[in-house]
Amino acid sequence: MKNKRIYMCEDSIEGIFTAIYDAWSSRYGHEYNRIEVFMKHESERNLELFSEYIYVKTDQEKAVKVSKSVKEKISMEAYDMVCHGAWSDREEKADIIYRFLILGFSMGAKIVNHLVNDTVMSLFEMNRNVSNEANHCLGFLRFKEINNHILLAKINPKNDIIRLVAPHFSDRLSNENFIIYDENRKSCVVHKAGYPWIYTIGDNLNLDNILSFSNAEEEFQSLWKIFFETIGIEERKNDKLQRNNLPLRHRNNMPEFNKSEM
Amino acid sequence: MIVQDNLSIQEKLEILTDAAKYDVACTSSGVDRKGTPGPGMGNTVAAGICHSFAADGRCISLLKILFTNECIFDCKYCINRSSNDVVRTSFTPDEIATLTMEFYRRNYIEGLFLSSGVMRSPNHTMELLCESLRLLREVHHFNGYIHCKVVPGADPALIEITGWYADRMSINLELPTADGLKKLAPHKTRKNILRPMKQIQLGRNDNLLLDCSPRRYITNGNEIHNNIRKPQILIDDTSHNFSITGSNTSALGLVKRPSVNRGFVPAGQSTQMIIGATPESDYQIISVAEALYNKFDLKRVFYSAFIPVNEDNSLLDLPGGPPLLREHRLYQADWLLRFYGFSAAELLSEDRPNFNVLLDPKCNWALGNLEVFPIEINKADYYTLLRVPGIGVKSAERIVKARRTSRISFDDLKKMGVVLKRALYFITCNGKMMYPTKIEENYITNQLISLKEKLPLGIGDQMTYQQLSLFDDVNFNQVKK
Repeated sequence: MKNKRIYMCEDSIEGIFTAIYDAWSSRYGHEYNRIEVFMKHESERNLELFSEYIYVKTDQEKAVKVSKSVKEKISMEAYDMVCHGAWSDREEKADIIYRFLILGFSMGAKIVNHLVNDTVMSLFEMNRNVSNEANHCLGFLRFKEINNHILLAKINPKNDIIRLVAPHFSDRLSNENFIIYDENRKSCVVHKAGYPWIYTIGDNLNLDNILSFSNAEEEFQSLWKIFFETIGIEERKNDKLQRNNLPLRHRNNMPEFNKSEM
Repeated sequence: MIVQDNLSIQEKLEILTDAAKYDVACTSSGVDRKGTPGPGMGNTVAAGICHSFAADGRCISLLKILFTNECIFDCKYCINRSSNDVVRTSFTPDEIATLTMEFYRRNYIEGLFLSSGVMRSPNHTMELLCESLRLLREVHHFNGYIHCKVVPGADPALIEITGWYADRMSINLELPTADGLKKLAPHKTRKNILRPMKQIQLGRNDNLLLDCSPRRYITNGNEIHNNIRKPQILIDDTSHNFSITGSNTSALGLVKRPSVNRGFVPAGQSTQMIIGATPESDYQIISVAEALYNKFDLKRVFYSAFIPVNEDNSLLDLPGGPPLLREHRLYQADWLLRFYGFSAAELLSEDRPNFNVLLDPKCNWALGNLEVFPIEINKADYYTLLRVPGIGVKSAERIVKARRTSRISFDDLKKMGVVLKRALYFITCNGKMMYPTKIEENYITNQLISLKEKLPLGIGDQMTYQQLSLFDDVNFNQVKK
């Protein structure tokens, strides 16, 4: 029996595509290959016995080749599904994408509807999960005004959704300067009034330095809290329904749920 | 009436939010609009966006406030009725514009929901609402969502200009029948409510015909199936009341339209009815809703479980608190009317005028129509699939999609989100039922009732109490006739 080969790659679509390229061209046999990503903040993991670990260095050229053949030989829709899948927080995502593409290259465009297959269903679920969280974020994200009228929002999403929400806010607030900061991934989207948004890794961005909110900020936060507390109907009070619709994990960055914080 | 002067903006916001909270609709749905180049801010998303959830679990999407609670009307169910002794105050259009803009920038809200008590006269009030909207649209260049109430009895020209600024407008039907309205809202008439509804419907149709720009199709998964029910310009029995509906003239044109054309009430209109304050049956209520959908092209009808805020002997007594389960059943039925292709007369009848508390309306219908089942999952068309208990809009879509590539088994159905323990009595996969079962009304009814229905959280808690007291006189044979 052959040993298993486990390809370890960076947690990004480029990393996963590079690993797929390497695994594919090794001609070792798909059933003996597995692809895994280093998840965020991962310091150690248990290694499997009788497995050969291969550490993949992300290579733009290989990644572009894979993405090009997905678009041409499967479909644009499949490509979108794969990209959104890569933003999921599911640990097995890289291998699911790998299996999906193996099947996709043999089935062609109709793979995206082939929901009776477990791999396709898993990728479909991941997509749903990512876009659900992104949709929640459109509503639950909160900006605070710091000096110079700049708006700042902090988010802590499970999936990597910041690039999915950026187009919405830059269309909506096209004349505002704003920053959306993903605290878990230290990544951010920066938008300057009248310009397109940019995505950047903000390792050096220290939010603790930004403590000076504008004068108006406190006033509007307190007005918003008054509105929030008054709009609920006492006779229909329903904590369970509220928690179901707005899980606690979203509430950290929402002023209406934080009594004193600015 | 004591009008309090010199209140702070905080105090006004509290009073005028508190007075607006009983209004049901807070949806920001129905229109997709990109941000505009140039000054201002805002866009809209057809599916709507929820920004928070209040302590009662209801979605907060819009800044829902009254312009004023100074009201000359004396509607018996309303906290702001003129004979009540409450603190009265009003916003200014400027205050409303500032609150909306600053809340919107911080992503607290999708936009504004502006309602009002009737101050001095319907026209005076409507002018103030209109001025608030004008400030937002023309001075602040606000391009987000605006929902505005129509004050019954306001001049059609005022309604038209407001319609050019608003995305959605609504006129509350208040009570399901004209009798109820007469009894509880002596200053409102059915005519004053239906007339602006018709005006807005015709105005929207006109606008869509005249507008050269291609119609924005709504891409929200749920709303795609809206075309089950084609919008019709039917003239209702009450049409003789509508002097504005001359056959060859446009319904619009009473006023000049504003320079930025966002369309006339592009997100359509909605209405709401109070449930449980008057003795109408569920059948009457959903028949009214159906007529509103068909004859007035409404986007939504909202049902509001009556909460007695005033003591008045013409109101029905509600010892068990607001009728939340009944409200829930009506919303389920409303969904069946809008997305599932059902008609009111299929769901209820004169002999069986109320929904079953123990079963949802779709199960109830299926049990009364067992002869059409079982249906074959691999063959049945989309609308037939939708009629199966346990299959919803999303799972029906997935079934239709998935069977293009392969035959579907019970295992697959489960993965697609079909609730098999409910559906299994009504379907076959590849000619076989999931397991042999009796297709017999009483048997399936008992099976379905023994499954715990997933009611909205909080309603179930009261249900146990209601169920026990109802069980004594539930007669299944009669219920299912």
